[in-house]
This record gives sequence, structure tokens and C-alpha cells, in this order.
Amino acid sequence: MATLTKEQFDPASAWARYQPDARRPWNLALAGHLYRRAAFGATWNQLQRAVADGPQRTIDGLLRPSADVAAFNRQYDELETPANDENSSNDLRAWWLQRMIRTPHPLLEKMTLFWHGHFAVNAAKVNSARATQRHLQLLRKHALGSFREMLAGIVHDAAVFLSLDAKANRKAMPDEDLARWLMEAFTLGPGRFAERDVRETARAFSGWFVLQNELRFIERERDAETKRILGQEGRFTSDDLVRILIEQPATAQTIVRKLYRWLISETAEPDARLIAPLAESFGKNLDVLQLVETMLRSNLFFSAAAYRQRMKSPVEFSLGIVKGLEEAVSTPPLAEALARLGQNLLHPPTAKGWIGGQNWINHATLAGRHNLAAALLKSDGPFGGKLNPAAVAGKHGSSAQFFLDLFLQGDAEPSGESSTNADARRAAYAVLTLPEFQLA
Amino acid sequence: MTQTRRSFIKTTLKAGAFVSFATHAPGLLVRTAAAAQQRERDTVLVVIQLSGGNDGLNTVIPFGDDAYHRGRPTLRQMARGAHKLDSHLAFHPRMEGFYRLYRDGLLTVAQGVGYANADRNHPGGMHNWHTADPRSPKLQTGWLGRAADFLWKPGEANVPAVFVGAIPQPFASNAAQVIVPSVRSPRELISQNFPSVGRGVPAEPSQSWLDSLRRATAQVRSNNRRIESAMSASARGDYPQFQLAEELRAIAHLIRADLGIRIFFTELGGGNIGGFDNHAGQLGNHCSLVHQLSESVAAFIRDLQRDKLHERVLLMTFSEFGRSVRENGRRGTDHGAAQPVFLTGGRLKGGLCGAHPSLTDLDKDALKFHTDFRRVYATALDRWLGLDSRSVLNAPFEPLDVLKA
Repeated sequence: MATLTKEQFDPASAWARYQPDARRPWNLALAGHLYRRAAFGATWNQLQRAVADGPQRTIDGLLRPSADVAAFNRQYDELETPANDENSSNDLRAWWLQRMIRTPHPLLEKMTLFWHGHFAVNAAKVNSARATQRHLQLLRKHALGSFREMLAGIVHDAAVFLSLDAKANRKAMPDEDLARWLMEAFTLGPGRFAERDVRETARAFSGWFVLQNELRFIERERDAETKRILGQEGRFTSDDLVRILIEQPATAQTIVRKLYRWLISETAEPDARLIAPLAESFGKNLDVLQLVETMLRSNLFFSAAAYRQRMKSPVEFSLGIVKGLEEAVSTPPLAEALARLGQNLLHPPTAKGWIGGQNWINHATLAGRHNLAAALLKSDGPFGGKLNPAAVAGKHGSSAQFFLDLFLQGDAEPSGESSTNADARRAAYAVLTLPEFQLA
Repeated sequence: MTQTRRSFIKTTLKAGAFVSFATHAPGLLVRTAAAAQQRERDTVLVVIQLSGGNDGLNTVIPFGDDAYHRGRPTLRQMARGAHKLDSHLAFHPRMEGFYRLYRDGLLTVAQGVGYANADRNHPGGMHNWHTADPRSPKLQTGWLGRAADFLWKPGEANVPAVFVGAIPQPFASNAAQVIVPSVRSPRELISQNFPSVGRGVPAEPSQSWLDSLRRATAQVRSNNRRIESAMSASARGDYPQFQLAEELRAIAHLIRADLGIRIFFTELGGGNIGGFDNHAGQLGNHCSLVHQLSESVAAFIRDLQRDKLHERVLLMTFSEFGRSVRENGRRGTDHGAAQPVFLTGGRLKGGLCGAHPSLTDLDKDALKFHTDFRRVYATALDRWLGLDSRSVLNAPFEPLDVLKA
């Protein structure tokens, strides 16, 4: 495992840029760590290049890749567009996985997945493949952009209304669920608002209806009276809500804490002092890219407080294998397999999204992960023998040690017995079923 | 990680001793996992969903009631051939298995089960039985999912609940915390050609998740053996050739393997608007479905009886609604309300629970309920699984007096 000191950081040094030195050298293990968190894993060449380039230059490339990302995404936007609205969203899941594998900007997809878990729209409730696609595109558009614009999009997104059973917001009967989820899950967090705020927020949504999967404003259903929300008074509309909610420090804290779990650690709740400086600047500029950048470049990110302190989600587990073995696989069966492991993309279990961490693991999902690894490595079956561990190992080194370095960067304890001529698939499978490989 | 360990890895690798895939398991970890599984032999709940709205009147037949014969000129089952429970009621003629269980005191029929203002649409009716809270249609979890959440905590490898079947998992087992797997065969819980785990090293405090993962990995290994041996030991179980029977056989294997699974959920009728929805030409379809139900469940209980495992099992059925008393002119029936719920297992008192609902005092041509369905759920939760039903059902419901002390 990486040579990481157990030092306690004060907030300033925790978020200061990591500069490798003799005490904390930049190495293969930390390169692997960076690619697990800021991407979906890496090829051997990517890891080698990262080791040569150093951390900050590697992070430059992950944050702002030189490739034409917009052109790539336009192409996939077209490919994934459902033929008609009655289509199920299952094709969207498969296209999204394909995009995660092939994108020149994996961090963008990683953050799109983060926001998907945050807003937790369920395609089964949306029941419109096109509205679901528009939602996913909204998440991607602002995934590394402005949280203000993200939230403005979310409170006017048909998929969000449909997913929360709030498609008719009548003046006489304002629906409180949308308001409650908006405050409790999307922005302020539990306990940071009163029931009255929920009721008044619900009134501010009056007039919004989803008709034929499009959001429409019906003027005569608008409640034009004064509302009092979080200490402010006015004839608020849904547009005002975005401003009111992001003015609350609790909103920035919610997002920073959640992103901390996503990028740094799920095993320990961060100290409030650690969150405070990031929440303060994020509260001002709402710049997601800058927040992500601060976290990724930090001393804390490259410390023992972060290293292997997350559980891989099924997406991270499987795509780590696919990326390492340098090929794309058929993603419709992969989407199904991930659903069986508890991560049915576009169908989170509740509006709180996936809890993640140790909740991913029980003996059934663990056996399922082993079997998915075996299926991905097989030369036949649903994944069509796309991955060829022998060829990849042949290019870069001898198989057993190579797979340990590629997938675990030396974090597993090899036993003393020698088996140099192990079959490459078997060798890869043995590494991928080590408990250590489940940790991100 | 310590410098010592890092240099150990380096030297080991440099010496050319590559990682090996020895078949031994770290003994300590396996023993820990086995100990965790060998706690008290827990009770098991099996729930069968009958999709489509089962016609309770042609399942538990009130043959002694003229109103039944008047309402069912073509669909009625005559007393002859039916399995009489008393002078008034009989099981459908093709429910031999249920009848034998009933005679042996292993089966209880809870009659007149339903709820106020029952939803007679398929999705709404089913959703209510799944959430167990008709007043909260937006509830995000099902009652079995919430029970599973109460039976589990993060870091435990145990799987509290499993859905067995080929259809998408019904909402009843939707959980907020725990991942409830869907399987068609016990083999899906076995990891294929499992190689050795890495050699165990003492974990540092910050690596407690790695410890949990090692325990879970060891448990997967021991489960592999338990499932294999349960499947070969009980291969002789005598089940009819129905899909439900195969699913119940899989459940019997998993109960025998003793993996700590407390809730099994399965289905008959095919999900969605299922096979029990017979608005026309009901007779043959319904006959076949209740036959499959009765014979599959009986085979399951008989199989478990061989090693007294039936005493650990409570099985219950439910459907989204019962059906109309009067047939509809197309030799079918329409959506109704109250229904009989079947409970079977080794610790039931047996017999009938509650009176058969009146066939003349009706609610829009459907039977009125007298027993709230949450009382059946509370029985399963409180009296069987040992959970606090109030926290699962979000309200207090009195369990039924159907279980032996």
C-alpha cells in the first residue's frame, strides 16, 4: 500500500496542494488512487504516464482534457436518443455505461453519476425515455459547472417532478413532497428548515404541471400571494427558490460533505472545520469544477485519510476491470448485471439515491461481483470475450505480478508460493476477487 | 501501510515469487463466518405474491351458500370433488395439496382480509399491499424491504431477504438500506471457481472495512460449500413440474444451506397484470393456477418436513385484491376487494381464522373485509420474525392468533 503518513491535518494544510517529497512520494499507488476517484480506473499506460507526469499535471488532464469532449458528447447524445418516448430507459443505461468507458473526459461522467445519485431521478417513475434523457443531459451539462444553474435546471425539469409524483402543482392543493425533497435531500439537509418552509415552498411551485412529459406553467394555478421562506418574505416563484436556497450556508455544506464522501472518504465523517473553508468558497461561487479541483489536488486526497477509504460501487468495480483491460464491452448485459448488484442506473432505490459504502456489500452482492468479474474475463458469454487479459499482460509484463500492479498497485499481500505460469484469465480473476479490490 | 509490509511485498515480488492461488482459506476468517451463521436457528418467512387478483371465492369455495351458486352460474365449483373444510366451505377440487396440509393442521386460512376503500386497479391495489400503507402512495419502500432493513446493518455480510423468480423484483422488497438480491437458482449465490483469497494480514484500525470485506469473502466461500451440499442433499425432494415449485425448491435449498436469509419472496402469475386476472374464460386458467399454488407449496412443506425445517418456516400468500362475487357474462370475474390469505408452516394452529365474508352484504359487488391485511403482516413481523411491526408498518396492528405458542 502507498506509504502514507497518518498525520492529522489542519484545514489549511489539508486543502493545500499536494507536493510530492521524500516523505510522501508520488508513485503508482497514488496514480491508481487518482484514477479510481477522478475516473473509472486506468489502463497500464495511463498509470505509467501519470507516474512520469506527476500528480498536478495528471490532474490538469483529468479536469480539462485537451480532447474535443463536446464533439464526443454530441455523438453520444445522438446515439442514445430513444426512437420513441415509449421506449424503456434501459437503452439509456447501456449508452451511459458505454460513454463512461469511452469518454475522453471520465471525470465529467463520474460527476454526472454523482449528481444522478444526488437528485436520484427514477426512470420507472418518469416513464418517459426522452424526459429521462433530458434529465441526464442536464446533469452532464452542469456536472462540473455552476451549482446555481444546476439547481435552476432541476427545479424546472419534468423528470424531477415526475419522479417525485409532483406533476400537478395546484394553487388550491400545493404538493409538499417536491418542496420537502428539494430542501431535505437536494440542498439544506434534514433539520435545517421548518414545516412552514416546506408549505410555503410548495406554494412557490404552484402553477407547474407536467403535461405529456413536458413541464408547463399554468398561470391560473399560480399562487401569487406573499410567501415566507427561511426568513425571507416575498411573492416568490420557483425561480426565487433557487436564490433563497443557495444563499443558505447549509446548502453549500450539504454539497461539500456529499462530495467529500464521493471523492475522499466514506469511512469517516469529516470534521466540520475541514468542511468549513470549502463550503465557504463554494457558497460564494457555486463553482463545482473549482470545488472538485481543490479536493483532487489536496494533501488530504493523497493521504491515508482518503486512500482505500471508499467502497467501489458496482459501476466502479466493473468499469475498473474494463478500463484496465483496455477494451469496451457490451453494455446492455452490463447494465443488467449492475442492477443485480444493487446499482440499477437511472433506477435508484429511493429518492435518496444509493447509500453506498458498506451498504453495497453482502454475501450475495460479493459473490455477484466475483461472478461478474469472471463473466467479463470469459472468452464467451454475454460480454463476448472482448476483454483479453493475456494480450494485455503480454504487452506490459508477466501476468500474475502485472495484474497485481495494474489493479491493486501492490496493495495485496501475495503469498509466498510461486505460480509464474498461471493462466492470464485465472490470474486476473484471482486479483479481482481479492477483498482489497472492492475498495476504491 | 507500514514500511515493513511494503518492503516485504517488494522483496517477495523481486524474488520472483509471484502471487499464488493456493486453495487454502485463512482458517480464522472462515471460523468467524461460520460462527456468525451458527447463531440460533432463525425463523424464516416465505411470501408468495399471486399476481392479477386471485378469485378467493373459487379458491375457498362457499358451496353451502346459495348466493355463491346464483352469482356464479358457469364458474361455480360443485360440492362434489371439492375438498370440504366444513359443511359450508371447500377448497377448489384441484387443491389436493392444500387440503392435506389443512387436514394435518399445517395450514390456516385467514378469511376476509383487506382494507378500507380498497384500490381495485392493478397497480394501485398491488402498490398498497407492497407498501402496507394505502394512505401513503408515495412511500419509497415496501414492507418486506423495510423489514430487511431492520434485519441488517452495514458491515454485516448476511443477506436478510432474497427474491426468487424471473420477473423484475416486485416493490414489496424495495429497501432503502439493504440490497435485496433477485435469483432464479441458489447457484447464483455461489461464486464460480472461487480462487483463494489473499493471505490475511492484521488490519490497521483505518482498514476495518477491509476486515469486513475479508469476513464477507470468507462467508462467500463457506456459503459456496453450504449451498452445494444443501443442493446435493435435498436433490430427492419431490416437486411437481411447475415454475413456482422450482422457485420453492430453490428456497428450500437456501433454507437448508442455513445462510441466515430470513425473508424469501416469490411470485405466481407472471408479475404485472398477472395470470390471476381472468375477466373472461376464467375456469381453466384459475384452476391451473390454484393447482400450481397448492401442489408446489405442499411439496415445499413436505420437503422441509423431512428434517423438521418446516417448523422454522411461515409461508403466506397475498394478491392485490379478490374478485367480484358475480361473474361478468364472459365467464370471468372482475376486480374485487377482500380475499383469503393462506398461511402454512410447522407452527401454525391450522384451520380457519375469521368468518367467510357475507356474499350478500357487499361493497360494489365485492366481499367486505373484516381483517386488515396489516394484521397478517404484523403476525409475520412480530410473532414470527421477532421484529417490531409498528416500526415496519408505521402504525400498530394486532397480530392474528394463528401461531402455536
